[in-house]
Amino acid sequence: MTGLGTALRVEALAWRRSTVQRIATPLVLVLLPLASVGTTALARSGAVDGAGAAKLADYAHGPLAVTHLTVAGQVLAVGLLMAAGFAYAAVFGQPLADGRAGSLFGLATQRSTIAQARCLVVLGWAAGCALAAVSLTVVASTAVVTVGGETFTDEAWATAGQALLVGLLAACLAPPFAAVATATRSPLATVGTLIGVVALTQVVVLVGGGAWFPYAVPSLWTGMGGVQVAASVTPAALGLTAAVAPAAIAVVVRQWRRLTDV
Amino acid sequence: MRALALHGLRHRFGDRAALDDLSLDVAAGEVVAMVGLNGAGKTTALRILTGRLHPQQGTAHVLGADPATLGTTAARRFGHVVGAALVSPDLTVTENVRTAALLHGVARADVPAASAAVVHRLDLDAWAGARARTLSAGNAQRLGIACAVVHGPSALVLDEPTSALDPRGVMLVRELVRSLADGGAAVLVSSHHLDEVARVADRVVVVHGGRDVGELAPGPEMEQRFFARVLEADAGRSGSAV
Repeated sequence: MTGLGTALRVEALAWRRSTVQRIATPLVLVLLPLASVGTTALARSGAVDGAGAAKLADYAHGPLAVTHLTVAGQVLAVGLLMAAGFAYAAVFGQPLADGRAGSLFGLATQRSTIAQARCLVVLGWAAGCALAAVSLTVVASTAVVTVGGETFTDEAWATAGQALLVGLLAACLAPPFAAVATATRSPLATVGTLIGVVALTQVVVLVGGGAWFPYAVPSLWTGMGGVQVAASVTPAALGLTAAVAPAAIAVVVRQWRRLTDV
Repeated sequence: MRALALHGLRHRFGDRAALDDLSLDVAAGEVVAMVGLNGAGKTTALRILTGRLHPQQGTAHVLGADPATLGTTAARRFGHVVGAALVSPDLTVTENVRTAALLHGVARADVPAASAAVVHRLDLDAWAGARARTLSAGNAQRLGIACAVVHGPSALVLDEPTSALDPRGVMLVRELVRSLADGGAAVLVSSHHLDEVARVADRVVVVHGGRDVGELAPGPEMEQRFFARVLEADAGRSGSAV
Protein backbone atom coordinates (compact mmCIF):
# COMPACT_ATOMS: atom_id res chain seq x y z
CA MET A 1 0.00 0.00 0.00
CA THR A 2 1.98 3.03 -1.18
CA GLY A 3 -0.71 5.18 -2.70
CA LEU A 4 -3.26 7.67 -1.56
CA GLY A 5 -4.54 5.39 1.22
CA THR A 6 -1.13 5.32 2.89
CA ALA A 7 -0.66 9.04 2.47
CA LEU A 8 -4.11 9.76 3.89
CA ARG A 9 -3.41 7.57 6.89
CA VAL A 10 -0.09 9.28 7.58
CA GLU A 11 -1.33 12.82 6.96
CA ALA A 12 -4.45 12.30 9.05
CA LEU A 13 -2.33 11.20 12.00
CA ALA A 14 0.06 14.12 11.57
CA TRP A 15 -2.84 16.59 11.34
CA ARG A 16 -4.63 15.07 14.33
CA ARG A 17 -1.49 15.53 16.43
CA SER A 18 -0.56 18.97 15.09
CA THR A 19 -0.57 22.03 17.30
CA VAL A 20 -2.42 24.04 14.65
CA GLN A 21 -5.30 21.57 14.65
CA ARG A 22 -5.35 21.40 18.44
CA ILE A 23 -5.78 25.15 18.62
CA ALA A 24 -8.04 25.71 15.61
CA THR A 25 -10.63 23.00 16.30
CA PRO A 26 -11.74 24.18 19.76
CA LEU A 27 -11.66 27.80 18.56
CA VAL A 28 -14.06 27.05 15.72
CA LEU A 29 -16.29 24.79 17.78
CA VAL A 30 -16.55 27.12 20.76
CA LEU A 31 -16.54 30.49 19.05
CA LEU A 32 -19.23 29.75 16.47
CA PRO A 33 -22.08 28.87 18.86
CA LEU A 34 -20.96 31.64 21.20
CA ALA A 35 -20.85 34.21 18.40
CA SER A 36 -24.21 33.11 17.02
CA VAL A 37 -26.11 33.14 20.28
CA GLY A 38 -24.15 36.06 21.74
CA THR A 39 -24.54 38.37 18.74
CA THR A 40 -28.27 37.71 18.61
CA ALA A 41 -28.64 38.31 22.35
CA LEU A 42 -26.67 41.53 22.06
CA ALA A 43 -28.77 42.75 19.14
CA ARG A 44 -31.97 42.11 21.09
CA SER A 45 -30.76 43.44 24.43
CA GLY A 46 -31.08 47.11 23.53
CA ALA A 47 -27.67 47.67 25.09
CA VAL A 48 -26.11 48.74 21.80
CA ASP A 49 -26.95 52.00 20.08
CA GLY A 50 -25.64 54.14 17.25
CA ALA A 51 -23.53 52.49 14.54
CA GLY A 52 -23.38 49.23 16.50
CA ALA A 53 -27.15 49.00 16.64
CA ALA A 54 -27.38 49.68 12.92
CA LYS A 55 -24.96 46.84 12.18
CA LEU A 56 -26.91 44.47 14.43
CA ALA A 57 -30.34 45.62 13.23
CA ASP A 58 -30.89 42.53 11.05
CA TYR A 59 -30.53 40.30 14.11
CA ALA A 60 -32.81 42.33 16.39
CA HIS A 61 -36.03 40.80 15.13
CA GLY A 62 -37.40 37.60 13.60
CA PRO A 63 -37.54 34.05 14.97
CA LEU A 64 -34.73 33.57 17.49
CA ALA A 65 -33.42 30.20 16.29
CA VAL A 66 -33.46 31.29 12.65
CA THR A 67 -31.41 34.34 13.58
CA HIS A 68 -28.90 32.20 15.53
CA LEU A 69 -28.39 29.95 12.53
CA THR A 70 -28.22 32.85 10.10
CA VAL A 71 -25.42 34.39 12.17
CA ALA A 72 -23.74 30.97 12.32
CA GLY A 73 -23.72 30.77 8.54
CA GLN A 74 -22.34 34.28 8.22
CA VAL A 75 -19.57 33.64 10.74
CA LEU A 76 -18.70 30.28 9.14
CA ALA A 77 -18.48 31.87 5.69
CA VAL A 78 -15.43 33.89 6.75
CA GLY A 79 -14.28 32.08 9.87
CA LEU A 80 -13.90 28.65 8.34
CA LEU A 81 -12.15 30.06 5.29
CA MET A 82 -9.68 31.78 7.60
CA ALA A 83 -9.19 28.67 9.77
CA ALA A 84 -8.67 26.33 6.83
CA GLY A 85 -6.51 28.92 5.07
CA PHE A 86 -4.27 29.13 8.15
CA ALA A 87 -4.18 25.34 8.25
CA TYR A 88 -3.00 25.14 4.63
CA ALA A 89 -0.43 27.85 5.31
CA ALA A 90 0.91 25.75 8.17
CA VAL A 91 0.92 22.29 6.60
CA PHE A 92 2.23 23.37 3.19
CA GLY A 93 4.16 26.58 3.86
CA GLN A 94 6.04 25.59 7.02
CA PRO A 95 7.67 22.36 5.73
CA LEU A 96 8.79 24.21 2.63
CA ALA A 97 10.15 27.10 4.70
CA ASP A 98 12.08 24.92 7.17
CA GLY A 99 13.29 22.32 4.66
CA ARG A 100 11.22 19.35 5.93
CA ALA A 101 9.57 19.11 2.52
CA GLY A 102 12.88 17.80 1.16
CA SER A 103 12.42 14.58 3.12
CA LEU A 104 9.34 13.80 1.01
CA PHE A 105 11.47 13.23 -2.08
CA GLY A 106 12.56 9.77 -3.14
CA LEU A 107 9.83 7.96 -1.21
CA ALA A 108 7.78 4.99 -2.37
CA THR A 109 4.75 7.19 -1.76
CA GLN A 110 5.07 10.01 -4.28
CA ARG A 111 5.29 13.53 -2.87
CA SER A 112 2.41 14.65 -5.10
CA THR A 113 0.26 11.91 -3.54
CA ILE A 114 1.28 13.11 -0.09
CA ALA A 115 0.34 16.68 -1.08
CA GLN A 116 -3.04 15.47 -2.35
CA ALA A 117 -3.65 13.62 0.91
CA ARG A 118 -2.63 16.70 2.89
CA CYS A 119 -5.16 18.79 0.96
CA LEU A 120 -7.91 16.22 1.51
CA VAL A 121 -7.20 15.84 5.22
CA VAL A 122 -7.47 19.59 5.87
CA LEU A 123 -10.54 19.79 3.64
CA GLY A 124 -12.14 16.91 5.55
CA TRP A 125 -11.23 18.53 8.85
CA ALA A 126 -12.80 21.83 7.76
CA ALA A 127 -15.96 20.03 6.63
CA GLY A 128 -16.08 18.18 9.94
CA CYS A 129 -15.66 21.45 11.81
CA ALA A 130 -18.54 22.96 9.84
CA LEU A 131 -20.79 20.02 10.71
CA ALA A 132 -19.79 20.00 14.39
CA ALA A 133 -19.99 23.78 14.76
CA VAL A 134 -23.45 23.99 13.20
CA SER A 135 -24.60 21.04 15.33
CA LEU A 136 -23.35 22.74 18.49
CA THR A 137 -25.05 25.96 17.44
CA VAL A 138 -28.31 24.06 16.96
CA VAL A 139 -27.93 22.61 20.46
CA ALA A 140 -27.15 26.02 21.98
CA SER A 141 -29.95 27.67 20.03
CA THR A 142 -32.44 24.98 21.07
CA ALA A 143 -31.50 25.55 24.70
CA VAL A 144 -31.93 29.31 24.37
CA VAL A 145 -35.25 29.21 22.50
CA THR A 146 -36.65 26.59 24.88
CA VAL A 147 -35.84 28.81 27.86
CA GLY A 148 -37.55 31.70 26.04
CA GLY A 149 -40.68 29.61 25.43
CA GLU A 150 -40.18 29.33 21.64
CA THR A 151 -39.74 26.23 19.52
CA PHE A 152 -37.05 25.18 17.07
CA THR A 153 -39.03 25.47 13.83
CA ASP A 154 -38.68 23.87 10.41
CA GLU A 155 -37.43 27.24 9.15
CA ALA A 156 -34.68 27.06 11.77
CA TRP A 157 -33.71 23.57 10.56
CA ALA A 158 -33.62 24.85 6.98
CA THR A 159 -31.38 27.74 8.06
CA ALA A 160 -29.15 25.26 9.89
CA GLY A 161 -28.88 23.27 6.66
CA GLN A 162 -27.92 26.39 4.78
CA ALA A 163 -25.32 27.29 7.44
CA LEU A 164 -23.79 23.84 7.02
CA LEU A 165 -23.67 24.22 3.24
CA VAL A 166 -22.10 27.65 3.66
CA GLY A 167 -19.46 26.10 5.92
CA LEU A 168 -18.74 23.40 3.35
CA LEU A 169 -18.48 26.02 0.60
CA ALA A 170 -16.10 28.07 2.76
CA ALA A 171 -13.98 24.94 3.22
CA CYS A 172 -13.95 24.45 -0.56
CA LEU A 173 -12.48 27.94 -0.97
CA ALA A 174 -9.42 27.17 1.20
CA PRO A 175 -7.33 24.71 -0.93
CA PRO A 176 -6.04 27.49 -3.22
CA PHE A 177 -4.01 28.63 -0.21
CA ALA A 178 -2.18 25.30 -0.32
CA ALA A 179 -1.16 26.30 -3.85
CA VAL A 180 -0.16 29.76 -2.63
CA ALA A 181 1.89 28.22 0.20
CA THR A 182 3.63 25.91 -2.27
CA ALA A 183 4.37 28.74 -4.67
CA THR A 184 5.60 31.18 -2.02
CA ARG A 185 7.15 28.53 0.26
CA SER A 186 6.16 30.75 3.14
CA PRO A 187 3.37 30.42 5.71
CA LEU A 188 3.48 34.14 6.38
CA ALA A 189 3.07 35.07 2.72
CA THR A 190 0.17 32.62 2.53
CA VAL A 191 -1.58 34.18 5.50
CA GLY A 192 -0.99 37.60 3.95
CA THR A 193 -2.59 36.41 0.72
CA LEU A 194 -5.50 34.96 2.68
CA ILE A 195 -6.14 38.28 4.40
CA GLY A 196 -5.76 40.04 1.04
CA VAL A 197 -8.37 37.78 -0.56
CA VAL A 198 -10.81 38.43 2.29
CA ALA A 199 -10.26 42.19 1.86
CA LEU A 200 -10.62 41.91 -1.92
CA THR A 201 -13.88 40.06 -1.41
CA GLN A 202 -15.23 43.02 0.56
CA VAL A 203 -14.30 45.33 -2.32
CA VAL A 204 -15.89 43.05 -4.92
CA VAL A 205 -19.08 42.91 -2.86
CA LEU A 206 -19.08 46.69 -2.38
CA VAL A 207 -18.89 47.29 -6.13
CA GLY A 208 -21.73 44.83 -6.65
CA GLY A 209 -19.82 42.02 -8.31
CA GLY A 210 -20.15 39.44 -5.58
CA ALA A 211 -22.59 36.93 -6.95
CA TRP A 212 -20.08 35.56 -9.45
CA PHE A 213 -16.99 35.85 -7.22
CA PRO A 214 -16.56 32.49 -5.43
CA TYR A 215 -15.06 34.01 -2.27
CA ALA A 216 -18.10 36.27 -1.85
CA VAL A 217 -20.76 33.69 -2.63
CA PRO A 218 -21.08 31.97 0.79
CA SER A 219 -21.45 35.26 2.67
CA LEU A 220 -23.87 36.73 0.18
CA TRP A 221 -25.95 33.55 0.20
CA THR A 222 -26.45 33.92 3.97
CA GLY A 223 -27.86 37.40 3.44
CA MET A 224 -24.86 39.51 4.44
CA GLY A 225 -25.44 41.70 1.38
CA GLY A 226 -29.19 41.83 1.91
CA VAL A 227 -32.11 39.62 0.93
CA GLN A 228 -32.12 40.76 -2.70
CA VAL A 229 -28.44 39.94 -3.23
CA ALA A 230 -28.87 36.59 -1.46
CA ALA A 231 -31.62 35.72 -3.92
CA SER A 232 -29.29 36.55 -6.82
CA VAL A 233 -26.87 33.76 -5.81
CA THR A 234 -27.59 31.06 -8.38
CA PRO A 235 -26.98 27.31 -8.16
CA ALA A 236 -24.32 27.85 -10.82
CA ALA A 237 -22.50 30.28 -8.51
CA LEU A 238 -22.69 27.72 -5.68
CA GLY A 239 -21.41 25.01 -7.99
CA LEU A 240 -18.54 27.22 -9.14
CA THR A 241 -17.62 27.87 -5.51
CA ALA A 242 -17.63 24.15 -4.72
CA ALA A 243 -15.49 23.49 -7.81
CA VAL A 244 -12.68 25.65 -6.44
CA ALA A 245 -11.56 22.80 -4.15
CA PRO A 246 -10.95 20.06 -6.74
CA ALA A 247 -9.42 22.56 -9.15
CA ALA A 248 -7.03 23.85 -6.50
CA ILE A 249 -6.10 20.35 -5.34
CA ALA A 250 -5.27 19.42 -8.94
CA VAL A 251 -3.00 22.48 -9.11
CA VAL A 252 -1.29 21.55 -5.83
CA VAL A 253 -0.68 17.98 -7.03
CA ARG A 254 0.90 19.32 -10.20
CA GLN A 255 3.02 21.79 -8.22
CA TRP A 256 4.35 19.05 -5.97
CA ARG A 257 5.02 16.71 -8.88
CA ARG A 258 7.20 19.42 -10.43
CA LEU A 259 8.67 20.73 -7.18
CA THR A 260 12.42 21.30 -7.22
CA ASP A 261 15.18 23.24 -5.44
CA VAL A 262 13.96 22.16 -2.00
CA MET B 1 25.67 -0.87 -12.20
CA ARG B 2 26.65 1.59 -9.47
CA ALA B 3 23.91 1.97 -6.86
CA LEU B 4 24.59 5.68 -6.45
CA ALA B 5 26.20 7.67 -9.24
CA LEU B 6 26.90 11.30 -10.02
CA HIS B 7 28.51 12.15 -13.32
CA GLY B 8 29.82 15.49 -14.55
CA LEU B 9 27.61 17.54 -12.26
CA ARG B 10 27.71 21.29 -12.67
CA HIS B 11 25.47 23.65 -10.81
CA ARG B 12 25.64 27.36 -10.08
CA PHE B 13 23.77 29.47 -7.57
CA GLY B 14 23.96 32.91 -9.16
CA ASP B 15 27.63 33.72 -9.76
CA ARG B 16 28.87 30.96 -7.47
CA ALA B 17 29.70 27.53 -8.85
CA ALA B 18 28.49 25.03 -6.24
CA LEU B 19 29.45 22.03 -8.37
CA ASP B 20 32.10 22.06 -11.04
CA ASP B 21 32.22 18.74 -12.89
CA LEU B 22 31.76 16.51 -9.88
CA SER B 23 31.66 12.78 -10.49
CA LEU B 24 31.35 10.10 -7.84
CA ASP B 25 29.87 6.67 -7.49
CA VAL B 26 29.14 4.13 -4.81
CA ALA B 27 28.89 0.41 -5.40
CA ALA B 28 26.64 -2.00 -3.55
CA GLY B 29 28.20 -2.99 -0.23
CA GLU B 30 30.41 0.08 -0.14
CA VAL B 31 30.52 3.04 2.25
CA VAL B 32 31.87 6.18 0.58
CA ALA B 33 32.46 9.31 2.64
CA MET B 34 32.44 12.70 1.00
CA VAL B 35 34.53 15.18 2.97
CA GLY B 36 35.16 18.84 2.34
CA LEU B 37 35.12 22.31 3.78
CA ASN B 38 31.91 24.28 4.24
CA GLY B 39 30.59 25.31 0.83
CA ALA B 40 32.56 22.62 -0.98
CA GLY B 41 29.43 21.36 -2.72
CA LYS B 42 28.71 18.24 -0.68
CA THR B 43 25.14 19.06 0.26
CA THR B 44 24.33 20.35 -3.23
CA ALA B 45 25.49 17.01 -4.62
CA LEU B 46 23.36 15.13 -2.10
CA ARG B 47 20.31 17.28 -2.87
CA ILE B 48 20.70 16.34 -6.54
CA LEU B 49 21.08 12.68 -5.61
CA THR B 50 17.83 12.80 -3.64
CA GLY B 51 15.93 14.49 -6.48
CA ARG B 52 15.48 17.77 -4.64
CA LEU B 53 17.54 19.79 -7.09
CA HIS B 54 17.91 19.37 -10.86
CA PRO B 55 21.53 19.78 -11.93
CA GLN B 56 22.20 22.35 -14.63
CA GLN B 57 24.58 19.86 -16.22
CA GLY B 58 25.44 16.21 -15.65
CA THR B 59 23.49 13.21 -14.49
CA ALA B 60 22.61 11.46 -11.24
CA HIS B 61 21.37 7.93 -10.73
CA VAL B 62 19.94 6.09 -7.75
CA LEU B 63 19.68 2.34 -8.27
CA GLY B 64 19.79 3.00 -12.00
CA ALA B 65 17.00 5.58 -12.00
CA ASP B 66 16.89 9.35 -12.30
CA PRO B 67 16.33 10.60 -8.73
CA ALA B 68 14.08 13.40 -9.96
CA THR B 69 11.57 10.87 -11.27
CA LEU B 70 12.37 7.93 -9.04
CA GLY B 71 9.82 5.16 -9.55
CA THR B 72 8.22 3.23 -6.72
CA THR B 73 10.44 0.17 -7.18
CA ALA B 74 13.68 2.12 -6.76
CA ALA B 75 12.20 4.42 -4.12
CA ARG B 76 11.27 1.46 -1.92
CA ARG B 77 15.00 0.66 -1.74
CA PHE B 78 16.25 4.20 -1.18
CA GLY B 79 16.72 6.14 2.05
CA HIS B 80 18.17 9.53 2.80
CA VAL B 81 18.63 12.24 5.39
CA VAL B 82 19.80 15.46 3.79
CA GLY B 83 18.97 18.43 5.97
CA ALA B 84 15.63 17.92 7.71
CA ALA B 85 14.60 14.29 8.18
CA LEU B 86 11.27 12.60 7.49
CA VAL B 87 10.10 13.49 10.96
CA SER B 88 6.95 15.23 12.12
CA PRO B 89 7.62 17.20 15.32
CA ASP B 90 4.14 16.51 16.69
CA LEU B 91 4.36 12.71 16.40
CA THR B 92 6.05 10.41 18.88
CA VAL B 93 9.22 8.54 18.05
CA THR B 94 7.27 5.34 17.37
CA GLU B 95 4.63 7.11 15.29
CA ASN B 96 7.31 8.84 13.24
CA VAL B 97 9.16 5.62 12.48
CA ARG B 98 5.92 3.82 11.65
CA THR B 99 4.68 6.53 9.32
CA ALA B 100 8.10 6.63 7.67
CA ALA B 101 7.90 2.88 7.17
CA LEU B 102 4.48 3.23 5.51
CA LEU B 103 5.70 6.02 3.23
CA HIS B 104 8.74 3.91 2.30
CA GLY B 105 6.39 1.15 1.19
CA VAL B 106 6.74 -1.32 4.04
CA ALA B 107 3.69 -3.60 4.18
CA ARG B 108 1.34 -2.58 7.00
CA ALA B 109 1.63 -5.93 8.72
CA ASP B 110 5.40 -5.57 8.88
CA VAL B 111 5.47 -1.97 10.09
CA PRO B 112 5.33 -2.56 13.88
CA ALA B 113 8.17 -5.08 13.88
CA ALA B 114 10.34 -3.07 11.47
CA SER B 115 9.79 0.09 13.51
CA ALA B 116 10.47 -1.55 16.86
CA ALA B 117 13.66 -3.09 15.50
CA VAL B 118 15.13 0.18 14.26
CA VAL B 119 14.04 2.10 17.38
CA HIS B 120 15.85 -0.49 19.46
CA ARG B 121 18.84 -0.54 17.16
CA LEU B 122 19.34 3.21 17.53
CA ASP B 123 18.72 3.01 21.29
CA LEU B 124 15.58 5.13 21.19
CA ASP B 125 13.40 2.75 23.25
CA ALA B 126 13.38 5.07 26.25
CA TRP B 127 11.93 7.86 24.08
CA ALA B 128 9.54 5.72 22.04
CA GLY B 129 6.49 7.56 23.37
CA ALA B 130 8.05 11.04 23.37
CA ARG B 131 7.06 13.62 20.82
CA ALA B 132 9.83 14.39 18.34
CA ARG B 133 9.78 18.09 19.24
CA THR B 134 10.77 17.24 22.82
CA LEU B 135 13.88 15.23 21.88
CA SER B 136 17.43 16.44 22.30
CA ALA B 137 19.32 17.27 19.10
CA GLY B 138 21.18 13.98 19.25
CA ASN B 139 18.08 11.86 19.79
CA ALA B 140 16.28 13.79 17.04
CA GLN B 141 19.16 13.02 14.69
CA ARG B 142 19.01 9.33 15.54
CA LEU B 143 15.25 9.41 14.97
CA GLY B 144 15.79 10.95 11.52
CA ILE B 145 18.23 8.18 10.66
CA ALA B 146 15.80 5.56 12.01
CA CYS B 147 13.10 6.94 9.70
CA ALA B 148 15.50 6.75 6.74
CA VAL B 149 16.53 3.13 7.28
CA VAL B 150 13.38 1.51 8.70
CA HIS B 151 12.70 -0.18 5.33
CA GLY B 152 16.23 -1.59 5.01
CA PRO B 153 17.37 0.46 2.01
CA SER B 154 19.75 -0.78 -0.67
CA ALA B 155 21.02 2.76 -1.21
CA LEU B 156 21.42 5.27 1.57
CA VAL B 157 22.49 8.92 1.54
CA LEU B 158 23.31 10.65 4.83
CA ASP B 159 24.40 14.26 5.22
CA GLU B 160 26.38 14.87 8.41
CA PRO B 161 24.73 11.93 10.20
CA THR B 162 26.76 12.30 13.40
CA SER B 163 26.95 16.09 13.74
CA ALA B 164 24.81 16.24 16.91
CA LEU B 165 25.55 12.84 18.39
CA ASP B 166 27.33 11.90 21.58
CA PRO B 167 30.07 9.23 21.42
CA ARG B 168 27.56 6.42 21.97
CA GLY B 169 25.28 7.78 19.26
CA VAL B 170 28.23 8.04 16.88
CA MET B 171 29.09 4.43 17.59
CA LEU B 172 25.49 3.29 17.02
CA VAL B 173 25.25 5.08 13.70
CA ARG B 174 28.65 3.82 12.63
CA GLU B 175 27.63 0.25 13.39
CA LEU B 176 24.32 0.72 11.58
CA VAL B 177 25.98 2.14 8.48
CA ARG B 178 28.59 -0.59 8.45
CA SER B 179 26.04 -3.36 8.88
CA LEU B 180 23.82 -1.97 6.12
CA ALA B 181 26.83 -1.93 3.79
CA ASP B 182 27.85 -5.41 4.87
CA GLY B 183 24.33 -6.45 3.96
CA GLY B 184 24.82 -5.11 0.43
CA ALA B 185 23.67 -1.49 0.68
CA ALA B 186 25.51 1.38 -0.98
CA VAL B 187 26.03 4.18 1.52
CA LEU B 188 27.15 7.72 0.74
CA VAL B 189 27.95 9.85 3.77
CA SER B 190 28.93 13.47 3.89
CA SER B 191 30.86 14.53 6.94
CA HIS B 192 33.29 16.97 8.51
CA HIS B 193 34.42 14.40 11.05
CA LEU B 194 37.52 13.00 9.38
CA ASP B 195 38.44 10.58 12.15
CA GLU B 196 34.91 9.25 12.21
CA VAL B 197 34.70 8.64 8.46
CA ALA B 198 38.09 6.96 8.61
CA ARG B 199 36.53 4.33 10.85
CA VAL B 200 33.49 3.56 8.72
CA ALA B 201 34.25 4.38 5.09
CA ASP B 202 35.75 2.15 2.45
CA ARG B 203 36.66 5.20 0.41
CA VAL B 204 36.98 8.86 1.36
CA VAL B 205 36.45 11.35 -1.46
CA VAL B 206 37.63 14.92 -0.98
CA VAL B 207 35.32 17.50 -2.53
CA HIS B 208 36.67 21.01 -2.88
CA GLY B 209 35.37 23.89 -4.96
CA GLY B 210 32.58 21.68 -6.27
CA ARG B 211 35.00 19.07 -7.65
CA ASP B 212 36.33 15.69 -6.63
CA VAL B 213 39.97 16.48 -5.89
CA GLY B 214 41.05 12.97 -5.03
CA GLU B 215 40.64 10.24 -2.49
CA LEU B 216 42.16 9.62 0.92
CA ALA B 217 42.90 6.14 2.13
CA PRO B 218 41.05 5.71 5.44
CA GLY B 219 43.61 5.59 8.21
CA PRO B 220 45.73 7.71 10.51
CA GLU B 221 46.51 11.43 10.05
CA MET B 222 43.42 12.06 7.98
CA GLU B 223 43.35 15.71 8.91
CA GLN B 224 46.87 16.42 7.66
CA ARG B 225 46.30 14.50 4.46
CA PHE B 226 42.95 16.20 3.90
CA PHE B 227 44.43 19.70 4.18
CA ALA B 228 47.36 18.71 2.00
CA ARG B 229 44.89 17.59 -0.67
CA VAL B 230 42.86 20.79 -0.38
CA LEU B 231 45.96 22.99 -0.58
CA GLU B 232 47.19 21.00 -3.55
CA ALA B 233 43.84 21.54 -5.28
CA ASP B 234 43.94 25.26 -4.57
CA ALA B 235 47.49 25.48 -5.87
CA GLY B 236 46.53 23.59 -9.00
CA ARG B 237 43.54 25.84 -9.57
CA SER B 238 45.55 29.07 -9.14
CA GLY B 239 48.30 27.58 -11.30
CA SER B 240 45.88 26.80 -14.10
CA ALA B 241 44.39 30.27 -13.71
CA VAL B 242 47.85 31.74 -14.25
